[in-house]
Amino acid sequence: MNKRLKNSLISLTLIIAAVFVGIFTTNKPVKSSSSSDRTQVVFWHELGGASEDALEEVVNGFNKSQSKYEVVPKYQGSYDEAIQKILQTHGTSTSPAVFQAFDIATAQMIHSKYTTPVQNFIDKDPSFDIEKIAPAARSFYSNGGKQQAMPFNTSQPVLYYNASLLKKYKITPPPVSPTYSDITRVAQQLYERSGHKTKGMTVQIYGWLLEQATTNAGTALANNNNGHTGIPTGIDMDNPSTVKFLEWIHKNIKSGDFINYGSGASAGANQTAGFLAGKVGIFIQSSASIGELTANNKDQLGITYFPHPDGQKANGVSIGGAALWISNDKPKAVQQGAYEFAKYALSPAVQAQWQKSTGYLALNKDSQKEKILKDLYAKNPEAKVPGQQLADAKPNYVNSGILLEGMQVTRQLEEVAMEESYNGGDIHKALKKATKNVNQNITTSNRANGYK
Amino acid sequence: MISTNKPSRLNKIVSYTLLLLLAFVILAPFFIGIWTSFLPTMEIAKGNFLSTDLSLNNYVSAFTKTPILRYLGNSLVVSVLTMAAQLVFCSMSAYAFVFLKFKYRNAIFVLFLITMMLPFEAEIIPNFTTVKNLGMLDHYSVLLIPFLTSAFGTFMLRQAFMQTPSELKEAADIEGLNHFQFYWNIVLPYNKVSLITLGAYSFLGAWNQYLWPMLTTFSNNSRLIQNGLRQLQSEETFNDWGMIQASAAIIVIPTILVLFIGQHYFKSGMNEGAVK
Amino acid sequence: MLKSTTPTVVGSKTEAKTKHRTFSLNAKDKYYAALFLGPSLLILSVFVFYPMLRTLYISMFLTNTLGKTTVFNGLGNYTDLLGSPEYIASLGSTLVYVFAVTVLTVGIGLLLANLASKRLPGIGIFRTLYSVTMGVSVSVAAIFWLFIFNPSTGFFALLSNLLGLPVINWLTDPTMAMWAVIITTVWMNLGFTFLILLGAISAVPTTLYEAASIEGASERRQFFKITVPMISPTLFFVSTITLIEGFKSFGLIDLITKGGPTNSTNMLVYRIYKDAFYSGNYAQASSEAIILTVIIAFFTFLQFKFLEKRVNY
Repeated sequence: MNKRLKNSLISLTLIIAAVFVGIFTTNKPVKSSSSSDRTQVVFWHELGGASEDALEEVVNGFNKSQSKYEVVPKYQGSYDEAIQKILQTHGTSTSPAVFQAFDIATAQMIHSKYTTPVQNFIDKDPSFDIEKIAPAARSFYSNGGKQQAMPFNTSQPVLYYNASLLKKYKITPPPVSPTYSDITRVAQQLYERSGHKTKGMTVQIYGWLLEQATTNAGTALANNNNGHTGIPTGIDMDNPSTVKFLEWIHKNIKSGDFINYGSGASAGANQTAGFLAGKVGIFIQSSASIGELTANNKDQLGITYFPHPDGQKANGVSIGGAALWISNDKPKAVQQGAYEFAKYALSPAVQAQWQKSTGYLALNKDSQKEKILKDLYAKNPEAKVPGQQLADAKPNYVNSGILLEGMQVTRQLEEVAMEESYNGGDIHKALKKATKNVNQNITTSNRANGYK
Repeated sequence: MISTNKPSRLNKIVSYTLLLLLAFVILAPFFIGIWTSFLPTMEIAKGNFLSTDLSLNNYVSAFTKTPILRYLGNSLVVSVLTMAAQLVFCSMSAYAFVFLKFKYRNAIFVLFLITMMLPFEAEIIPNFTTVKNLGMLDHYSVLLIPFLTSAFGTFMLRQAFMQTPSELKEAADIEGLNHFQFYWNIVLPYNKVSLITLGAYSFLGAWNQYLWPMLTTFSNNSRLIQNGLRQLQSEETFNDWGMIQASAAIIVIPTILVLFIGQHYFKSGMNEGAVK
Repeated sequence: MLKSTTPTVVGSKTEAKTKHRTFSLNAKDKYYAALFLGPSLLILSVFVFYPMLRTLYISMFLTNTLGKTTVFNGLGNYTDLLGSPEYIASLGSTLVYVFAVTVLTVGIGLLLANLASKRLPGIGIFRTLYSVTMGVSVSVAAIFWLFIFNPSTGFFALLSNLLGLPVINWLTDPTMAMWAVIITTVWMNLGFTFLILLGAISAVPTTLYEAASIEGASERRQFFKITVPMISPTLFFVSTITLIEGFKSFGLIDLITKGGPTNSTNMLVYRIYKDAFYSGNYAQASSEAIILTVIIAFFTFLQFKFLEKRVNY
C-alpha cells in the first residue's frame, strides 16, 4: 500500500516538474496550423451563428486571394465583453492585429490611442477609393478628418410590419418614411380589426432605439455636437425629441395595441418569435434581422424607414454594427496585412455576398451592380429599403453617432428610463433621472481621464 | 432515520414512494437533457418531445463541428495538474506548520487563515494585470499558477497531520530520518484518506473554474470546458438545442461515472472530515 | 465545495501544541520551513495578499479609459456606491438569493438525508442517486435548466401548454428570473449538501433513538429532538458554506440571465465583473470587490468563531 502511494507520489512530482519546464519554456500557445512563412494576422471578432459562417467565408476568401498574409479569426464572445479584452491585452503577445469593435466603443478606441487610423494606409494606397464607401458609415468612424476605422458590418434600424396581416384586414400600409401617427394608425387598426387577437406594435426596451429616435428627430443627445467637436461634458435626455418618442409609445400602450417584451437579449428573441407567429404586427429592429425574418416567415414582410415625429422631416438615423480597427502594437508588416484584409472585406463582390448572407448592408456603392444583390432585390424588393435609408441620410453631427465614452453604462440607464416610462411612470421624471445619472458618470470619467 | 423497531409495511411503502418521487425530481433535468440530446433540433423546436426520431447525430456534430474535445482535454490537463500541485504544496506547508519549529510560525499560520476569508473573485482586477505582465495570458500557466496551493488545503491537511501519533515521530527521530524522509515515507502515507479528499476537492474546484478562465483565455488552445459550453451557446444564435444538450451530456456523463466509482473514497473521506 | 473538514478540527490547536512539545527543536528546522512553506507563501503573496491591497488602493482612485489609476478619490467611490439605488438593489437581490438558496438547499438536503438514512433494502441506490448532482458542473446545470425554462420550446412551457396553464416567462420576468437562478443553484448544491448531512446523521449514536423509541417518541419527534440537535454543528457548517458560496455566485448567473432582466439578478460578483470587464470602470468595481470581501470575511469569521465554541463544549 505504502509503496504504491509512494510510487504514485513520485510520478506526480515528475509530472509537476515536467509541467513547470513546459510552462516556462514554451510561453506561447501552440498553434495547430501555422502555415509556413505567411505573416499571421490575428483577427478578433464577435459574430456568432450564421454571421460567423459568413465571416469565415470572407476570411477564407482573403487567405486564398493572396499568399503574403494569413488572417486567423478568433471569436471573442459578445461585443460588450470584447472591448475590455482588447484594451487590457494591448501590448501582449495575445492581442489581436485587427479587431471588430462595435459602434458605441468608437470614442473609447480613439481615446485609447491603441490603434493606427486606417487613413494612414489609405493615403498610401492609390488602389483604394474611400469615396465608394457609404458616407454615413464613413463619417461614423472618422474623427479629426481622419478615417479611424474601416466600417464593416453595418446595419440600420428599420421598421418591420406583417404585410400579409395588413392585407387580410384591408389596412393601408404605412409610407416608406412614416411618421409616428402613421404607425399608430396602422397599429390601432390592426389591433381593432383582428378582434384584439394581434397586438399592433412593440418597441423593445433598448437604448439604441431611444438614441435613434432622438437622432431621427434631429436632436443631439450629447453636447459638443454629440462629441464630434470636443469631449462631451453632458447629455440631455429630457429633450423634446426623446419626449415625443416616449409619448408616442405611451399613447399606444394606453390604447391597448402595444405589447411590451421587456429588455435584454431574450426580449429581442421573444419579440421576433411573436412577430413571426403573427402575435404582433409591427416592430423596430436592426436591418441585420432581415435574413431571419424572410427565411422563417410564412407571411409577407414589409419594411419602412425608422419613423419620425409628425410635422417635421426625418434627419436620418445613424448606423449600427461594428468596424474593423488596426492595433498599433504589431509590426508594420502585420498592420499592413490587417489593412489589406479590411480593404478586401470592403470590396464590391465581398460586400454584396456579405449583405446577402447576413443582412448587414453592402457599404461599397459598386456592390449594387453585383448580380448577387440584383437577384436578391428581384426576389425580395423590400430588402432594398435599409440600403435606401442609408443612402438617403445626409451625414451630420447628429446622425454620425455619439462620440462618448461609457456608452455601455449610458445605454443601461436609458433602458431604465424607458422601462419606467413603459410602466406608466412620468416621462420627464424618468428622463431627468437618467440624465442626472449619465452626467454624473461623464463628469467622473472626464475627471479620471483629465479631459477639460 | 435509524429506528430499531422494524418499520411497518405501511411505513415502508410511504418511505419508498417518497424516495422514488424525490429521486425522480432530482434526476428529471438529466433525463430531459439526455433524452433531447438524441432528438433532432427541429423536433425539439416544434415541441415534439415524444418523437421517436432518435439518433446520435447531435453527438456526431458536437464532436465534429465544435472543439469540444479540445476543451475537454484542456480541462482535464489543468484539473489534474492543479490537483497534483495542491497535494504537494499544501501537504508541504501543512507539514511545516505541524512538525517544524520556527519563528513566527503562528503568525504565518494566521496569515493562511486570513486568506480563507478573502474571495478570489474580489481580486481579479489586479490579478489580471499580474498575469498579463508575466506574459501568461491565454496559456495553461494562467490557469495553473495562481492555484498551485490553497490555504484551505493547507488548513485541512494541518488538522489531519496533527492527529499523527507522536510515537511515529519519536520512532523516526530514533531511526535518524530527516524531515524529507519523515514527510515522504510516513506522514503522507499515514494521511492517505485526507490527501484523497483534498485531491477530489481540488480537482472538482479546478474543473468548475469559470470566471478566471473566462477572463484570461482567448482561444480554443487554452479554453476550458465550462467556458467552451458558454461559447457554443452564445455562438449558436439559432440555438441548436439538440447539439447543445449533446455537448452537456458528453461532459456530464464521465464526471458522473467517476463519481460513482470514486464514491466509496468520497464518502469515507468526507465522513472522516465532517463527522468524527 | 468539499470544504468538509473545518467543523470539528478547529480548536484542537491547544491540544496539539502540548502533544508536539515533545518534538526535538532542531536548529535546521527554519531552513526546512523555508523550503516547505516557501512555494505556498510565494503564491499566496502574489495572488492573494498583493491583489487584495492593490484592490483597496485602486478603490480609492478614479481609473481612466485604459484602466489606469489617475485621480485620488478617497472614499468617493464607496459613498457613490452606497448612495446609488442600483447598487443597494443589487445588494438586496444578492441577499434574497443567498437566503433562499441556503434555506432551500439545507432544508431539502436535510429531508433527503433523513430519508436516505433509513435502514431499508436498496437504500444505497437512493444514496447514490441523491448525490448525483455533485458531478454536475456550472455550465451543464445551466444548459439543462435553460432548456427547461425556455419560454417557447422549453419543458415547463410544454407542460403548461399541455395542462392549459399560462406559460411563465421564467427568463424575462424579473421575479421569475431570480427564481430560475435560485432553483438551478439549489439543484446543483443538493448532492454535496446531502452527502455531508447523511454522514452526520449516520454518525448519531443509535442508542439515542433506541431510548426514544422505548419512550414511545414518534419519528417526527425523534427527528426534531434528536437528529437536528445532534447534527447542528454540521447544519451550521453546511449553511455557512452555502451562504458564502452564494455570495460568490457567478457562473450560473452569467449563463442563465446575464444579470438581467433589468438588473434583477445582477448580484455582487456579476456586478464586479460587469463594471470592470464590460464598462471598464475598474475603480468602482474595486470598491465593490472590497465590500464583497468585507461581507465574506464577516461570515467566514463567524463560522470560525462558532465552530471553535461548539468543539470546546
